[in-house]
Amino acid sequence: MSKPTLLLIDDEERILRSLRMLFFVGYNVRMTTDPQEAISILRDERVHVIVSDQRMPLMQGSELLRIARETSPATMRILLTGYSDLEASIASVNEGEVFRYLMKPWNIEEVKNVVAEAAAIAEASFAMANTDIERAAASEKPRVLIMDHDEATAKTVHETLSDRCEIVWASDAQHAMEELARQDISVVVSDLMMGETNVGYILKTIKQLNPQTQCIVVTSFSDTSRLIELINQAQITRFLPKPIAKGVLARNLESMLERFHMVRNQPVLQKRQTVAPISDPQEKKLAGNFLGLLGRLRGRVGA
Amino acid sequence: MSGVRQSENEIFALINSVEAVSPESTLDDLAELFANPAYANLLSLPVVDNGRPVGVISRYHFMDIYLKRYARELFGKRSIRRFINDHPLLVELDQPLAEAAQHVAKNMKFPLTEDFIVTRHGRYLGVGFVMDLLKVMELKMRANTEELEKAYTQLKSSQMALVQSEKMASLGQMVAGVAHEINTPLGYVQSNVTIGQELFSQLKTMITEYETLVDGLMNEQADDAEIAAQMQLVAEMRNDVNTHEMLGEMHGLMTDSLYGIDQISELVLNLKNFSRMDSAATDVVNLNDCIESALNIGRNVLKNKVEVIKELGALPKVSCAPSQLNQVFLNLFTNAAQAMLGKGVLRIKSWHKGTDVYISVSDNGKGISAENLTRIFDPFFTTKPVGEGTGLGLAITHQIIQQHGGDIRVDSRVGEGTSFHIRLPVSLAAIKPSAELEAIA
Repeated sequence: MSKPTLLLIDDEERILRSLRMLFFVGYNVRMTTDPQEAISILRDERVHVIVSDQRMPLMQGSELLRIARETSPATMRILLTGYSDLEASIASVNEGEVFRYLMKPWNIEEVKNVVAEAAAIAEASFAMANTDIERAAASEKPRVLIMDHDEATAKTVHETLSDRCEIVWASDAQHAMEELARQDISVVVSDLMMGETNVGYILKTIKQLNPQTQCIVVTSFSDTSRLIELINQAQITRFLPKPIAKGVLARNLESMLERFHMVRNQPVLQKRQTVAPISDPQEKKLAGNFLGLLGRLRGRVGA
Repeated sequence: MSGVRQSENEIFALINSVEAVSPESTLDDLAELFANPAYANLLSLPVVDNGRPVGVISRYHFMDIYLKRYARELFGKRSIRRFINDHPLLVELDQPLAEAAQHVAKNMKFPLTEDFIVTRHGRYLGVGFVMDLLKVMELKMRANTEELEKAYTQLKSSQMALVQSEKMASLGQMVAGVAHEINTPLGYVQSNVTIGQELFSQLKTMITEYETLVDGLMNEQADDAEIAAQMQLVAEMRNDVNTHEMLGEMHGLMTDSLYGIDQISELVLNLKNFSRMDSAATDVVNLNDCIESALNIGRNVLKNKVEVIKELGALPKVSCAPSQLNQVFLNLFTNAAQAMLGKGVLRIKSWHKGTDVYISVSDNGKGISAENLTRIFDPFFTTKPVGEGTGLGLAITHQIIQQHGGDIRVDSRVGEGTSFHIRLPVSLAAIKPSAELEAIA
């Protein structure tokens, strides 16, 4: 098998040179400071992994990754940035749909591991891309779990999906976990807080267990570092700041339900949303308890 | 008196219970009453008919009549009805004190000859002294003044808190920007050093193996087979690791790293210059240096978006608080950058004339409408979305310039751009130090 191709984009050449050295062995490294050139490389070559800076003079990284999604859907997208502003991180989820959001200065081992993991997934994606996707008839109704006390959210979910989905509105974190333990959920619509409980760890655990579950976060919280954690450790697919226009939520619900159907039938697509391990020790512990609950309820041992 | 909480009624406290006279009383009766020591304080007597006040008769008016020659004989037995003032000063018990005082003050006559009558639902209650009423009013106003002063002090301190929070907000933005500026070089420097470390330990292993080989070759008693094995090992290592290429790359990475460290040092130096830890202190500086310093700090916002054209003339040094002027310039530069829809031009000019230094900052951004232009220096006026601007940036800018004895003007055309013109006096004497200035610093 030939070496996987890694495409690096940053407006600072020194960053590119440094990264190239990291991947000197084992990768075919392409690098450029010009996003347009990056796009043409994506078009002309089979690129396994793209690593892009966010703040660049000609194009934002999230925008470049959005284009990469269309141009070369199998390519895994990673953002590497030294500037963590909320807007950029939201765009990287909603538009770039990044696999990882990494910070500068980076940890060499982490970057190497993430790129290697991404390259392997991309390889599988390229292999799959050539086979026709067979859409299995849905055996049962998709389930949507609402983890948000906000009535407006629940109302929009009901109005949009009640004809096709079974909808559960969790009253609190405990209830949400029981529902998640009892049955597979297709789409989760969640705030970051339910009452006093920070439910981030629940979202992270769901994704470890059920990679096909699609998470939409709807919240008025705007903490960039938490969002970055949710990207890496929960692979949330949408982050919608409240207040949300009804149409926006409805549109995203539709597309995430569609995504669920696709992902369910494509193990490779599930892999593309592989999560990073939970980093926060407290959350790790809570996630462990949740997995224990799951194990008991489902009669199988959690991951 | 039911329904009135007497302790809280300010008018009630003013009442002197005085037995009223009937309109049928005679002047002689009055003479007796006015002579009564119990009534010595009364300027007038209330005249009440059927419980309702019909007027007053003042001591002054009474004397006027009664002391005339033969008056006692002529009028002594007459009813007082024709002598009373039937427009007495009336105050209702339930009336607010201020209103009562206003009414009395407006209708009383000079010299003061009458007291006022207090009624409840129109019925006579007693008599009040005008001076008492006015005294109570004065006390109340004094208390109000104190309250006003307190409120003013509070407002002033909350304004300072807001100014501080604006400073923190712009500081936060600046820190985020600078963090990015530092994280980029820090990213590759750290990575390069780590790579260097790995390469170093690889090289160390290789050198050890080479040395072993050389030692073997130089040792006459060495076993040929061992030497051959060592040669084989070294040859393999040479094949695995392309030393020359790696070292060549590494050399480049070291050069990059030194460059990155220079970048970081420069940024740190800029930050230090910018904030000048002794920030409240005044200093004698060249404003062109302040402009450069602000440009460096704002580089993150400006770069890639703004072409900066500097026309900086030779300037005499100006006495000022440099950190504050840095803030002024940074405010103006970042505002200009934010006003630009795509790429734009920021033109900064400085010159010197007489005892003043002039600076103009012009952009070709979207401009400010005439309606907004009159308000841009107002505290809290902002056109930025909620959370992005506090509306204090230009207010603070204005304040700082004023406190330096200078002035700032703006002109703008929608669609063409905006210019700010600053004039600052060269001499320190013009600076007006004040509490606010200290607070901002």
